[in-house]
This record gives sequence, C-alpha cells and structure tokens, in this order.
Amino acid sequence: MEFATTAAGLSGTADDSYPMSPMAACMRNGEEPMEGHVVLQQIAQVLTIALFAPLLHGVIATIEERVQRGTGPSVWQPYRDLYKLAGKEIVVPATASWVFWAAPVVACTAMLTVPILIPVLTDYPLPLSDMGDILGGGLILTLGGFAILLAGLDSGHPYGGLGSSREAMLAILAEPTLIMVFVGITLLAQAMLPFVVNHLLVAQPAVFWSPAHLFLVAAFFILLTVETERLPIHSSIHYEIYMIGEARILEYSGPLLALLKWASWMKQAILYTIFLNVLTIPWGLSRHGTALGIAGALVALLGKWLLLALVMVFVDTAQSRLRFYRYQEPLALSFLMAVLAVIARQI
Amino acid sequence: MLIFHLDPVAQALFSLLVIVALILSFVMLGSHWIRNHIAAFAAESWVIAALSAAVGVYGHYPELVFIAALTALFRGTLLPYLLLRIVQDLKQNREFTPLLQPSSSMVLGATLVVLSYALAHRLGVRMRLADSIAVLALTAMFALKLIGFLMLVLRAEAVSSILGLLVIENGIFLGSQILVPGMPLLLEMVILFDLLIIVSTFGMLIHFLHKEVGTTSSRELTRLVG
Repeated sequence: MEFATTAAGLSGTADDSYPMSPMAACMRNGEEPMEGHVVLQQIAQVLTIALFAPLLHGVIATIEERVQRGTGPSVWQPYRDLYKLAGKEIVVPATASWVFWAAPVVACTAMLTVPILIPVLTDYPLPLSDMGDILGGGLILTLGGFAILLAGLDSGHPYGGLGSSREAMLAILAEPTLIMVFVGITLLAQAMLPFVVNHLLVAQPAVFWSPAHLFLVAAFFILLTVETERLPIHSSIHYEIYMIGEARILEYSGPLLALLKWASWMKQAILYTIFLNVLTIPWGLSRHGTALGIAGALVALLGKWLLLALVMVFVDTAQSRLRFYRYQEPLALSFLMAVLAVIARQI
Repeated sequence: MLIFHLDPVAQALFSLLVIVALILSFVMLGSHWIRNHIAAFAAESWVIAALSAAVGVYGHYPELVFIAALTALFRGTLLPYLLLRIVQDLKQNREFTPLLQPSSSMVLGATLVVLSYALAHRLGVRMRLADSIAVLALTAMFALKLIGFLMLVLRAEAVSSILGLLVIENGIFLGSQILVPGMPLLLEMVILFDLLIIVSTFGMLIHFLHKEVGTTSSRELTRLVG
C-alpha cells in the first residue's frame, strides 16, 4: 500500500513536499480564529470530558443492568455518588504518608490535562495542544495510574498491595502492546499527532479500510477493555478476590475517593474519545469552530460514546472472566494484531 | 505475477482478505479446542475462496470463480466435515499436547510473520515485484507455511497434524491465487482431490491407531512393533 503521498495530500496539493510542521497541515487554511474563541473551545473540550464522564459511566452501568434483566441505577447515579462523597469526612490510615494525599490530585490533574491534547470537539489543534503528541498523552494517562498504584502500596493495607501488584503485572503485559499500537499509528500517518491521523482517515477511505488501520482498531479495542476495567480481565463484581483497580483505592474515603472515582471515569471517557474520534469514527467533529458546530460535535460525541458503550455492554455480558494465569492471552492477541498492522503497513 | 492494475480500494480489499486468512491461522495456534481449530480452518478456506473469486472478477479470469466455488465446497465444507467426524469418533475435543502455552505460541507465530515479511521483502526486491500486493501474498504464503510447521512441531495429536498440513497447503494455494492466477483448472482439481485422499487416509489411520494402540498422540508411539 502506498501511503507516502497521504501526508502531503493533507495540505491540499499532492505535489507539495511534506510540510515542516504536521500540525500546520491540520490548521484550517487562512482564516485564523480570534484568540479568545480558541481558548474557549479548549476549555469546552476539557469541560466536556470532566462533566460528561460520570454520565457515560452511569449509562453503561444502567444498560448493563437492563440487559441482565435488572432495573439498574439511574444514569445520574454517578453524579449523586460524587456529591455524597464530597460531603463526607476523610479517614486516613495511620500508616499513610503524603503519597496518600497527593495521588488523587495527581490522577485527577493528569486526566484534566489529556483532553487538551486530543480532538474532543474540534478537528483542528487548539492552543496548548502541541504540548504533547500521542506518546505524551499516553505518558500522562499512565502517570495518573502510577500515582494510584503508589498510593495503594503506601496505605500499608494488604488489599492495597495486592491490587497494586496485580495492576503492575497488567501494566507490564499491556505496555508493549500500547507502544506497538502507537508505532503502528505513527507509521500509518507519518506523524504522532492525533489530529493528523484524524484528517488522514477522513480524507482517504482507502487508508480507512486498509488492514493496517483495521488491525490497529482491533488491537486498541482489546487494550480499551483492559484499561477501562472491563471483562475479560477486570470483573464487574467487586469481590475482594477479583479486585484489581478497586483494591488500590479501598482505603480512601470522602472527597479523595470522589476525586479518584471521577479520575477513573474521566480516563474511560478520554480513552473512548481517542478510540472514536481518532481511529474509528473520525467524522462529526467541528471544522470551523462556530458555536453551532461545537454543539453539534458535542451531540455527535455523546452519540458515539453511546454506540461504544453498547459494544462494551455486549462484551461485558457475553464474556466470562479469565483466570489470573490467562491474563496474557487477550493481550498477546492484541500484540499480535498490532504487529500484523505494522507489517501490513510496511507492504 | 499479478498483471492487472488494481485501484486502491480493491487493493485494500485484497490485503484485508489475505491478512484475515493469516489471522485465522492464529486462532488455531491460540485455542485449546480442536473444534475451534476446524472452524478456523473452514473459515480460512472460505476467505481464500473469496480471495480467488475477487482475483477472478477483478482480473477477468472466469475459471478462477469456478475454482473459488470448488474451494469453498471442498476445503470450506467437505474437509472440515470429515475432520469433525474424525474428532467426534475419537471423543477427544481438546488438544492436551501442546509444548507451549497459547499466548507464547501466538507471539512465536508473530515472530514467524515478521521473519516471512523480511524474506518476502528481499525476494520482492530481487524479483522486482512492483505490486505491493504480491509482496503481501508472498508474506502470507511463507507465514502460513511456517505456522503450519509450528503446529506440526508443537502438537502431537494426529488431528492436529492433519490440520497443520492443511494449513501449509492453504498457504501455498493462497499465494498461487495471487502470484500465478492463471494456473490450469485441471491442476487445481487434482490438488483438491489429493487433499480429499489425504484426509480420508488419515481418518482411516487414526481410526486404526485408536482401536489398536489406544492413543493417537505421536509422542506415545515411540516403539517399533513387529
């Protein structure tokens, strides 16, 4: 497959050499928006993730219960949980150090930083989105998880240590795959910026339907189930014996717990957004940044989230949990898909 | 050699089919259940049939469409059915003999794919294959052969040996469909009937082994009996 001209195609003319700054290729031609507008749009991106992430979680929980013939909580339950937790007192274990206090703040800040870097509502880069590329975003996401992992060890509680060690093992298994997926995306678009990938997939249906792209989607989907704590690895029932992510935050209470929960929901929303807006459904983003366009992009994003949520509910309902010694199997499959995608891209 | 020119979307379709066939061979490496192996083999044969039909339509080889129908009928339906009957007679539906865990053998298989890509790339440069699809077909051909050999090496059960041989054969067939699409129809039919004979002979052999020796695992058949 010859994609060498694709990057140049982004800037309009095919005989253009590859632009010096790939970011410039995604900028709209000519008409620069007013500075205040783009800042507002960037704030809207972050707020979208922060405010709608609990709703996404509530919708998934409710649909899952409905599918399994239960009534389920209201879709607004996560907001009520946050409100309730915010009003409670904080109990700190005697063995905990400053790490215990810092972890929720670090995790939440990391999750508020990533939406700046990715296309949530607009398909062109906004101020400060050149701070980091895909690898940088992945680094910040992992930093949040790492802080919680440290906090789980710090509390000195046996379950915290257990959750942290399991999470560390999963990270060891998942990280090579994540890197392979990033390498695949980079080779596909000749750039490490999510905006370039988005433009490329919109502009070229041949690239969209190429095996390289489809296998990257498959590999990323498996990673998505692992990273957003879904089956086949993470159990949806919180018994101690199954716990991985939950065990790390067992010692937290009150507003700190609210922050951690919010951070994990935001992580889910961010990963869904990357998967949808960059890789799977790159359409339906605001092109010109008008108020109507932003509102339309928001509605489209919620619709895409709902679609992916339905797929995730299907996975959660149809899959059984794997036992501990088979965790590497889905991740090996994901690694394989990523390797095949890289090979298919090379040809 | 592929002599007709392909538009980008058709090329994407071709490569997709080739790589799906490759993926299905990994199902055989990654699963414990012999039933899954047979289903994956059947699906792989149907994908190869679709590929040869697509080559026939895009490259105007009407006889390839006929071959595609034969492939779907023989490789996709009849051979899996015979294999399923063998497995049901044996009442053994799991593969207990692999030397490696499924995930390790999948990663090993991925390494083999990388190796065959390197090989195909070298060959493509040497033979001046202009079409990228030809290199992909070469890669898939070598990879399927190596994966078939890997299955033969890792597993001792007789049914798995037949499946490994059939995967090797499928790989060669897939490569030939893209690299030399004008192969005579008669030759294809001879190959198909050969396969049928292989499977039925193996079936009889397995039946005999099961009745006389009590096992079909080649690891236990180490003693010569006069």
